[in-house]
Amino acid sequence: MTVIGPNGSGKSTLLKTLAGTLKKRGGTVLINGRGAERITPNERAKQLAVMLTERVGAELMTCREVVETGRYPHTGRLGRLTQNDKRAVDKAIFATETADFADTDFSQISDGQRQRVMLAKAICQEPKILLLDEPTSYLDIHHKIAFLETLRALVNDEKIAAVVSIHELDMARIISDYTICIKNGGIFKAGAPPDIFTPDVLCGLFGLPRDLYAQYFKN
Amino acid sequence: MKLRYAAVFTVLSAALLAALYLNLTIGGADISPAEALKILFRGGADTASDIIMKIRVPRAMAALILGGALSLSGYLLQTFFRNPIAGPFVLGVSSGAKLTVALIMVAAAESRAALTSGALISAAFIGSLASLALVLTVSRSVGSMSTLVVCGVMIGYICSAMTDFVVTFAADSDIVNLRSWSLGTFSGMNMDNVRASAVVTASGLALTLLLAKPIGAYRLGESYAQNLGVRIKPLRAALILLSGLLSACVTAFAGPISFVGIAVPHIVRTALKTSKPVVLIPSCFLGGSVFCMLCDLISRTAFAPTELSISTVTAIFGAPAVIAAMLRQRRDRV
Repeated sequence: MTVIGPNGSGKSTLLKTLAGTLKKRGGTVLINGRGAERITPNERAKQLAVMLTERVGAELMTCREVVETGRYPHTGRLGRLTQNDKRAVDKAIFATETADFADTDFSQISDGQRQRVMLAKAICQEPKILLLDEPTSYLDIHHKIAFLETLRALVNDEKIAAVVSIHELDMARIISDYTICIKNGGIFKAGAPPDIFTPDVLCGLFGLPRDLYAQYFKN
Repeated sequence: MKLRYAAVFTVLSAALLAALYLNLTIGGADISPAEALKILFRGGADTASDIIMKIRVPRAMAALILGGALSLSGYLLQTFFRNPIAGPFVLGVSSGAKLTVALIMVAAAESRAALTSGALISAAFIGSLASLALVLTVSRSVGSMSTLVVCGVMIGYICSAMTDFVVTFAADSDIVNLRSWSLGTFSGMNMDNVRASAVVTASGLALTLLLAKPIGAYRLGESYAQNLGVRIKPLRAALILLSGLLSACVTAFAGPISFVGIAVPHIVRTALKTSKPVVLIPSCFLGGSVFCMLCDLISRTAFAPTELSISTVTAIFGAPAVIAAMLRQRRDRV
């Protein structure tokens, strides 16, 4: 599922509320049918992984160590990684093509590489739900497509629910099963991509004049 | 990486043993190292053995235990504020503890009551939590660390001024040790103090090690840690309470000691090139022990028989490390 909408419309707020980072201002958040407040933090962490737009702290940590934090909810009191945990980490690093700089310090890599490391962290958390806030914003075209393909595979093969806010409308149209349009803190329209990615809806959503839209989106 | 950890731990352990040896064998009284060792392991009943067992051993042990506690306290505050220049001294925590301890000491002297180690630690704990509460209130309204540090230094000055006031007006005979204590010193330790600080510090260290896992996740930032299942509020409370307890224990017995809390974790982090809590917590402790034992050795031997205050020595070696930490942080932010 993708979430699209103008800057400041409330996409991040929606995702943060779902993740439990922000206090909800109304309504109910259900995780697999259970009220989000009634799930313990550790249980929630096994169900739901996030990727946020905020700066990641990670001082003096290698990329692999950042990915390893994804195993947090699965490890015991002392946080020791088992063989199984290490396999999950390696798998996530492989899937996100981050092996080349896995042992580099997290502060030494580019923003785009960081986004891929954070996806690896979210993947190795082995959640049922992925909440990704503008996860592709810094990626080049190769890695944008690779990222979305990885995501698609997770959704298809591992039956993970992914909620992704995204600004690349052309790509959103292709990967979405369902799209929610957010405007001014509310839902503007929601539905399957063919109903959403039309000149009418997009011009209304982003406040674009029709002639400019036609000029930039030829198809 | 593993090799680097092993190397740093070996160096620290070797330095610890060396510092312990030097602290026990060097001193004003003319006791040869061989004689000192003989007294240590076989005992004795003359003046020399009294000097070793009642003065040098407690003093060295205090520097070992409290140095580690101070460094760990700094590490916890740095974790809490996510900033390498946080520490018990610059945030005014040590001075807050100093004020309450001075008050209780003078009060006890007036009423001729004996003070137990427990009472000293409790008083210091209250003082350190009070100044931490002040600093936290300020940190809520200002986000910048530099403002916070300035505020902490001001709190420190206010508390020190009030301590000086109390010390000046207390009867001279009551406070033979108070004046040197209020500048920071490991002298005048007895085994009872050492035992009390060992118990408090060991529990503080053990509890901190139990927090290694959530601290590890907390490194990513609050939102990510929360998503990983860390209970943020209890963790933050635990960080503050543990840090307050450890620095309180130090101040109760050795007075305020500057810069160790920032300098040692910074040096250790730089040497290990990691921020892994399971590695950093024990090495910060060891590093603090070594640093304080060596500084104490210098403070009492450099201009013997005149003794320098321990903070004079820790500042000379610690302050440059603090400046380095600040410069490095500036560079990383860019």
